[in-house]
Amino acid sequence: MSTPLKRVLRATAGGLSAVLIVGALAACSSDGRETVHFTFSKREAFGFMNQAVADYNASQQQYEVVMDTSGPDPLAASFVRGNPPDLMLSNYNHEVSRFVERCALSDLSDTAAASTIRDDLQPLLDQYGVCEGRTSALPYSVMAASVIYNKEIFAQYGLEVPTTWSELIAVADTLKAAGVAPFYATFADAWTANQGWFDYSVGGAVDIPEFYDQLAAEGTEVGPDAPVSFEKDFLEPVEKMQLLAKEYTQADAPSRTYDAGNVAFAEGKGAMYLQGPWAFSQIELTAPDLDLGTFPLPMTEDPKDLKVRVNLDLVTIIPEDAKNPEGARDFLEYLFQPEVIQAYNESQLGFVPTDDGTAPDDPRVAGMIDYYESGAFYQGPGVLNPRAIPTENYAQSLVLGTNAASMLSTMDADWARLAFRQPPVSKQEDAE
Amino acid sequence: MSATTSIVTGGDPKVRRSRKRVEPIYYFFLFPVVILFTLAITVPGVVGIVFSFTDSIGIGDWKFIGFTNYIAAFSDPAILTSFLFTFGFSLVTVILVNIIAFLLAVGLTAKIRFKMGLRGIFVIPMVISGIIIAYVFQFLFMNSVPSAGAALGIPFLETSILSNPDLAWLGIVIVTAWQAIPGTLLIYIAGLLAVPGDVYEAAALDGASKRQQLLRITLPLVMGYVVINLILGFKNFLNAYDIIVGLTNGGPGTSTRSISMTIIRGFQTGDYAYQMATATLFFIITIIIALLQLSATRGRNAL
Repeated sequence: MSTPLKRVLRATAGGLSAVLIVGALAACSSDGRETVHFTFSKREAFGFMNQAVADYNASQQQYEVVMDTSGPDPLAASFVRGNPPDLMLSNYNHEVSRFVERCALSDLSDTAAASTIRDDLQPLLDQYGVCEGRTSALPYSVMAASVIYNKEIFAQYGLEVPTTWSELIAVADTLKAAGVAPFYATFADAWTANQGWFDYSVGGAVDIPEFYDQLAAEGTEVGPDAPVSFEKDFLEPVEKMQLLAKEYTQADAPSRTYDAGNVAFAEGKGAMYLQGPWAFSQIELTAPDLDLGTFPLPMTEDPKDLKVRVNLDLVTIIPEDAKNPEGARDFLEYLFQPEVIQAYNESQLGFVPTDDGTAPDDPRVAGMIDYYESGAFYQGPGVLNPRAIPTENYAQSLVLGTNAASMLSTMDADWARLAFRQPPVSKQEDAE
Repeated sequence: MSATTSIVTGGDPKVRRSRKRVEPIYYFFLFPVVILFTLAITVPGVVGIVFSFTDSIGIGDWKFIGFTNYIAAFSDPAILTSFLFTFGFSLVTVILVNIIAFLLAVGLTAKIRFKMGLRGIFVIPMVISGIIIAYVFQFLFMNSVPSAGAALGIPFLETSILSNPDLAWLGIVIVTAWQAIPGTLLIYIAGLLAVPGDVYEAAALDGASKRQQLLRITLPLVMGYVVINLILGFKNFLNAYDIIVGLTNGGPGTSTRSISMTIIRGFQTGDYAYQMATATLFFIITIIIALLQLSATRGRNAL
């Protein structure tokens, strides 16, 4: 490790970016308020968040929050340039966790908001990696996701919610025989194949935390001879998923996008839809009164195996390099006020991560509350896989019918290769 | 557009002459460009190459790991297939574009009605942004073509070619060609207008047919333009990005990921050093191609 060279490189890069962005930074609002750069890219909630920002800006005179909705990709670049936003309200995934592992995010444990967060959510955060001694992110919205079904179509054909794989197939056969597409699928958008199809199928059959712990321990050994691998453990659920995708979706599934799918599902063109609750607000635009429900996708013959997929849909983050951390903290505390966080989650059908939060009062997510509260949930493999592995694209190939065994062994090889060139941070320290 | 090729062609070695005669005005022109080029292209390029030997994710601490990234890259099917896809796609597209553009140019320089109007229409695709063209064509491929196929009862058209991992690249070739033909066409028109009319008169007197005139006279006389178009086109297609993002986003699966996409996806997903290694490999390969092209075309047709 040569530190002088590092310093030179860093100085060069820093100097360059300073030259290039000095103009952009000079922007300070005209009435003397300090600007707080806030990024938020969940488009379903732009309306709510615009209002929250406006309310906050009106409520005090010191800071002016400016919301940037340009999405997660420019965000990574902003960290690289050393010019991250002041406050991020973002999805929690592997991309963010890299900033956590390298301790690029500031400690939030002394905020008032931190003391209100439920303790049992910490494992979900830690599953992605930690920065020792820091609370790098505070959950803001936990999203539970499972099969969305059209209650009107189910009632029309006298169908019950299936709790086992064979019941699911029976339901799907009935619908198919009646000329209704059992599942409406939008495979043109790779993320929908990943989030709904791949995650629900595998999560309903495999013990996800256990699997990933072992996979991480195996590292470069992951492959055909390892005790745990994608090819061994995921093959059965993935082949079941391929059966559903091949036999029980509408004919044009490969060329439908998420937006088109929301409209079509709202029009009753399919009975089940593998999407999260974020789709409800989009379906509402077409069919405000459609009677919808949710249930976990049954992948085994044992109803005890039923689980819902959860993800930390939003967490608050203040980067270490934030230009205005005080303003960011002030707005953070505002966002965590019980009425704001409760109203936000109510509007997006998310679960409030604070101790006194209540589950969303909406019949459409009622089917998931019991599972969520009893801890029958998992974080999907589609988000737990490092993003260097193009899991979304692989999931898309799988639902379009590629050979499952060879695709999963590619995933194994990708995992091993990543472990080879980029060992987890904790292991590097052991080696030094 | 591309940093890699401009490095190859950017320098001019013949500035050195006898010291006393150099007018200061030359330096006045030269230095700002040299400084900007160094700051904006050379320095970041070198920094990037250095980073390809580290485990950096773009932020935080990093250390040197030697050739690990390169070893991993050579065994990575995702990177190998993106190289194969990009070169195959570029080759097919550059040939298709040049054949169509040349024939169109021959037509548009002939004595026909509405020549100027037609030229204007054919050039329109050039002024539209690639990403917009891509989204419009995505809608056509995903919705219009399949519904037309269903209405006409042609099963082949009923599923979108963009959803077919084996055929999606054809969609990208079609749209890229649609956008690239006008630029190529303009260069060919310029070339054809530069061919003097008397050679055709002489050919006609000698009894050459129209086809013979095209192949034996027109084509050899515009060969310099053909070479320019092939080189520029191939170089542009190697950098394919926006049209692919709009059409397939690299899918279905990973079947249409270009090299540029693979590199940029790596930056977005915290794979900075690894994709810097890919970028370095790409840089070396394009330099080799550029050198081959230079030596193959040196001294020919005043290039």
